Amino acid sequence: MRRAFYARTFALALTALPAAPHGGLSQEKIRVVTTSADLKSLAEAVGGDRLQVESLTTPEQDPHTFEVKPAQLTRLRNASLIVRIGLDHEPWFARLSSPTVPVVDASKSVRLLQTAIPRLRVERRAHVHAFGNTHYWLDPRNAQPITASILAGLAALRPGEKAAFEANRDRFLSRLEERIAAWEKTLERFRGTKVVVVHDSWAYFADRFGLQIVAAAEPHPGIPPSPAELAMLFKRMRESNVRNLIADPHANPALVQQITAKGGARAVTLLPSGTDYIALFEENVKRLSATLDPD
Amino acid sequence: MIELLLWPLLAGLVLTSIHAYFGLHVLARGVVFVDLSLAQVAALGLTVAILAGHPVHSEAAYWYALAFAIAGAILFATARPYESSLPQEAVIGIVYAVSAALAVIVLDRAPLGAEHIKQILIGSILTVTPSDVGLLVLLYGAIGVLHFVCRRPLTEVSFHPQLVTSLPRGAFVWDIVFYVSFALVVTSSVRIAGVLLVFSYLIVPAGLAGVLVSDLRRRLMLAWGLGALLTALGLYASWSWDLPTGPAIVTAFGAATALVGLGAVARQLTRRRAGIVACGLAIFIGLPLVAFPQVDQPWLDALEDMAPVLQTGFLTSSERATRTEAIESIERARAELARLGALNQDVQWGKVEMEPEKAERLRQYLMGKSEISAGDQLVLRHLRSTAREHQRFGLGLPLFIAGGCGLYALLRRVS
Repeated sequence: MRRAFYARTFALALTALPAAPHGGLSQEKIRVVTTSADLKSLAEAVGGDRLQVESLTTPEQDPHTFEVKPAQLTRLRNASLIVRIGLDHEPWFARLSSPTVPVVDASKSVRLLQTAIPRLRVERRAHVHAFGNTHYWLDPRNAQPITASILAGLAALRPGEKAAFEANRDRFLSRLEERIAAWEKTLERFRGTKVVVVHDSWAYFADRFGLQIVAAAEPHPGIPPSPAELAMLFKRMRESNVRNLIADPHANPALVQQITAKGGARAVTLLPSGTDYIALFEENVKRLSATLDPD
Repeated sequence: MIELLLWPLLAGLVLTSIHAYFGLHVLARGVVFVDLSLAQVAALGLTVAILAGHPVHSEAAYWYALAFAIAGAILFATARPYESSLPQEAVIGIVYAVSAALAVIVLDRAPLGAEHIKQILIGSILTVTPSDVGLLVLLYGAIGVLHFVCRRPLTEVSFHPQLVTSLPRGAFVWDIVFYVSFALVVTSSVRIAGVLLVFSYLIVPAGLAGVLVSDLRRRLMLAWGLGALLTALGLYASWSWDLPTGPAIVTAFGAATALVGLGAVARQLTRRRAGIVACGLAIFIGLPLVAFPQVDQPWLDALEDMAPVLQTGFLTSSERATRTEAIESIERARAELARLGALNQDVQWGKVEMEPEKAERLRQYLMGKSEISAGDQLVLRHLRSTAREHQRFGLGLPLFIAGGCGLYALLRRVS
């Protein structure tokens, strides 16, 4: 009887052993809430299975017009860390004040494009974002500064696990670097190809892969272009022989159809957001290389 | 211009033809918002179609939208006999609010498509295709023929419902015919032109015609003419002033309504009433200038733009010189920016060859130049606020006193 008791205690102690070095509390997963699916994917790449990440928006949702639901609000309040795109990408975020939770602004150390807005407008075409174009995650090399910010946020919460996070991040970045080389090779023949975009969300992507964006058909999302603007666009597309249009899933199909018909372009719809960061680029590169007509 | 605006114009004419007619009915029935409500119900149908897995621009989605709109139409027809206990406008409002809320709930489950629903409600008449217009002509032609054949009962049930009360069941059937064909029209039009434009086509031509003539047939003719004319004007304004097309047409409708309204007011204006209005206006604009000279005074800004002496008269000669200099500098910068901006566009589009380094320098120069111009704008703003301090007592106070005295004199003469 007594031997059996000792044996059981010993067995219990044994099973408890592997967990012991982590300590009781840190065994619990870090609850992270991100504002986009892409950030969720990147946070998971750094935190691995030590994190429990939830994204507030799905890739299909428009981050500009998102509405928070009560359950999400609770999760936001109970989170240990919030990761956001920053700049003015999530205007609704300012209204969810939860000052107790640390917030990682992933835009912090990213080199931003289109930061300058001419104050004296010669033409109506000026983009909507006041602090620079916010679609910076669409340059895969920006995963480096983004994951660095996430790493810093996580390390501040769990200093003891910093090394593990760093190892995760390095592994992810080297895998990504391999893929970037492959993508660049696939898209090599399109380098310098001129494209028209429907919305101004592809500046970083184009910058990385050497596409040359010459115009945005709908500079203000939701406000259709005026007839004079559209006529000018068609004229320029014909004159400069621009044959490619990049659309988003949210783009107005009637507008896309008109540009392809009257401007004489072929359209490719690229995804601005995805649940798996690397798979997102795989998909976009695949779509581009299948449709794009190199200059 | 013709190439791009021809089909929007034709679409506008087709919309005018059917909506001006329905507008007369809707105004007579006193159910002005029925169109917005049915459009919202149709949008709810679209969201349900998305949830069922159909793309938002598919045929299936259209049939969903139509089915929902027809259900709404039947509901309105059923509610009409109970007008005395629950006004039909209330039913229409409730249906609007509830279907809008339901659409939000449904869209939350199927987020892909929210943008498209929004786009459908905004509409894009500029990008209408010939086949869109052709389908509308066929559909509205058929509905027009039906309404022409049944014009007697349909007119009676809308315009003289008290005469049909002897045949309550008959009235109900014709109400159903009216609302169902209306649902068909709204669902199809909103896809092309968006809610705002469709609402304007429905109410404005019919409403204005109702103000100007009383006979039903002449009203319809006038509404058609007005709708066609305002569509053309709106399209022309959109082209020459570089405005989004749908909103420009809606604004043209609004401007026409305002003109007719002003005309009607002006006809009843005696000299004394005009004097009271003018004095009231003088007080209304003079008082803020005296009390808060540094607050935005848009009326004065506009007047100063038209007659700069209103501002320069309150400046010293050196201030005037600074002002002229700043304006000239801004003009020069604007011309240069326009020229270099065009060059930059040409470089970007590959029309003009330029070395990358030089192109980058051009971009930087453009940016810097616009900053300098922004500085000149600040100088102008400062001068304007300096002038305001003088205008406060030189312009605002006289206006206020003149208005006050005039009003006192005019009102005392009555009593």
